[in-house]
Amino acid sequence: MPPSSSPYLDTDAWGRALLRGAASWWHLLHFGAMVLVMALSPSTYNRANRATTSQYIYASTWQVLPWFTALAALLSLVLIRIVVVTALSYGLSQYALQMVVRVLVLELIPLSAALFVALRAGLTFNASLIVTPLKSFADPSPPLSLASLRHQYVPRVMASTFAVLTLAMVSSVIALVLAYLTVYGLTLWGLPGYTRTVGQVFDAAVTLGFALKTILFSLAVAVVPMAARLDPYQIATEDTVQPGAVRLFLVLLLIEAASLVVKYI
Amino acid sequence: MEPQSESPSPSPSAIARVERKAILLLILISTLVLGFLLYVMYARGVFESTQQLVLISDDAEGVIVGMDLTFAGFPIGRVRRIELAPDGKARMVIDVPRKDAHWLRTSSIFTMERGMVGETHIRAFSGILTDPPLPANSERTVLRGDTSAEIPRLVATTRALLENLENMTGPESSINTSLGHLNTVTERLSGRYGMLTGVMGSEENAKKIIATLDRTNALLAKTDQRIYGPNGVMDGTQAAVTQLNAVLKEASVSLKKVDAVLAEAQAVGANARVASTDLGALRAEVEISLRKVSQLVDEVNRKWPFARDTELKLP
Repeated sequence: MPPSSSPYLDTDAWGRALLRGAASWWHLLHFGAMVLVMALSPSTYNRANRATTSQYIYASTWQVLPWFTALAALLSLVLIRIVVVTALSYGLSQYALQMVVRVLVLELIPLSAALFVALRAGLTFNASLIVTPLKSFADPSPPLSLASLRHQYVPRVMASTFAVLTLAMVSSVIALVLAYLTVYGLTLWGLPGYTRTVGQVFDAAVTLGFALKTILFSLAVAVVPMAARLDPYQIATEDTVQPGAVRLFLVLLLIEAASLVVKYI
Repeated sequence: MEPQSESPSPSPSAIARVERKAILLLILISTLVLGFLLYVMYARGVFESTQQLVLISDDAEGVIVGMDLTFAGFPIGRVRRIELAPDGKARMVIDVPRKDAHWLRTSSIFTMERGMVGETHIRAFSGILTDPPLPANSERTVLRGDTSAEIPRLVATTRALLENLENMTGPESSINTSLGHLNTVTERLSGRYGMLTGVMGSEENAKKIIATLDRTNALLAKTDQRIYGPNGVMDGTQAAVTQLNAVLKEASVSLKKVDAVLAEAQAVGANARVASTDLGALRAEVEISLRKVSQLVDEVNRKWPFARDTELKLP
C-alpha cells in the first residue's frame, strides 16, 4: 500500500477535520454571541416572546425546582455531616464550616445544577428541533434568521440560563442553612461566628469567581447543545452521541478548571 | 419540558398562570441574589464602622487578608491589608469595629502564633481593662511565636540528648562500668564475709581484718587484766594518789608556817620603815647643825682680817 493512501497519513482528511472543527467552534461562538445580543436587546421581550419565555422558564425551572432542591439538600446534608464529623474526630472542627461552604456552595452545587439542567433541558429538547441536515462542508447552511433566533432560540437559552442560576442559588442557600443547622443546631447564638466564617470564605475574588462561574455554566448549558444541534458540521458527522454533549462537558470542564486555577493557584 | 409539545394551544388563563409563576421565580431569584450579596457584604464587615490598628512584625508569613484578630477567643478585628514597610517590617492593617474597640487598651499586647497545623492566629491580650482605650491608627509591635521555627532547635537538642543517652548506655559507658562494679560489689556482699568482703575487696583481706579483730580482742583482755586486775596499774595508781594526798596535807601545814614567817617579816618591815622615818629627822638635824657650822665658818671668815671674798655663799 502506498503511504499516501494510509488513512493515518491523509493530510487532506486531517486538514478537513481541523477546518471542520474550527468552523464548528466558530459557529458555536457566533451563535452564542447572537443569542446573547438578542437576549440583551429590549425589543426581544415583546408580549409573545415574554409568554414563550415564561413557558420555558416554567418548564425548565418551576417544575424541577422542588425535586432538585430536595435532592441537593439531601446530598448536601450527607456531605456536611460527613465533613463535620470527620473534622471533629480529627480536632479540626473550626475548619469544617469553611470546607463545607467551599466544597458545596462554591464547587459542587453550581456544577450539579449545570449538569442537571443540561441533561434535562439542554439536551432533551434537541429532539424536538427540526433542522435541515446539511451533508457537505462545501455547502454550509444559510444563516439563521433573526426572527427565528428571537422567537425560537432566545427564550430557550434564557430559560436554561435562568434554570441553572435559580437551581444553583436556591440549593446554595439551602446548603448554607443546612450547614449552620448541622454545626450549631437550632439556635441563633452561632450566627455571628457563622456569618464571620461565610464572610471569610466569600471575599471579593471568590464571590466574583463564583458568580462568573455560575453564569458561564448557565450560558454553556443553554448555548452549547443548541448550537451543536444547529451546527451543520456536527450533523454531517452523524455521531451516535447526542450532539453537543461532549462539547458541553468539555466546556464545563474548562470553566471549572479555569475557576480552580484562578481561585487556588 | 417542551411547552409546545405539552400544550400545543394553551388557553390564555394557563399562559397567564405560567407567566405569574415565571415572574414569581424571577422575583425569588432576584431576592435571593440580592439577599445573598447583602449577607456576604455584612459578613465581610462592609456596613461596620471601624477603626484602624497597625500591627508590625518582622515576618507576616501565614497572615492572610480577612484573617481574624481575636480577643479571649472572640473575633474583634479583621486583617484588611498587609504591606511591607520601607524598614523591611511587615505592617498588618487591621479593621477593628468600633463596638469591639473598647477591648483594646493602651496596655494591650498582640501576639501572632503559628502552629504546626492550621492557620496563624493573631491574638490581643488586655490585662488592665481600666487603662485608656487604644486610639485609632495606633501602631503596635506584635509578639511572634512560631512552632515550626522551634522545630530545628528542638530536633538539634533532641539529637544531642539522644547522643548523650547513647553514650551513657553504650558498652564502654560510665554507667555500664559503674553497674558492673556495683554488680561485683553486690556479689561480694552476698559472699561469705558479706559487706567486709565488699569493703576490703577480697576474702583474704576480710580474713585478715577478722584475724586482726581477734588479736585486738585478746590484747584488750590482757590489757584489762593488767590495768584493772589485782596488783594492776590501777591499784598502784590508787596507792600513789593516797600518798599524794598525805604529802599535800603536809605541804599545807608547811605553807601555814611560811605564812606566819611572812607575817613576822611584815612586822620587821614596818619597824624598818619607822626607823627610816627617824633617820630622816636625824638627817634634818645634822643638816641644821651643818648649816649652823657653815654659818659659823662664814662668820669667822667675815671676821677674819685677810678675808677679801665678801661674796655670800648659800649652802
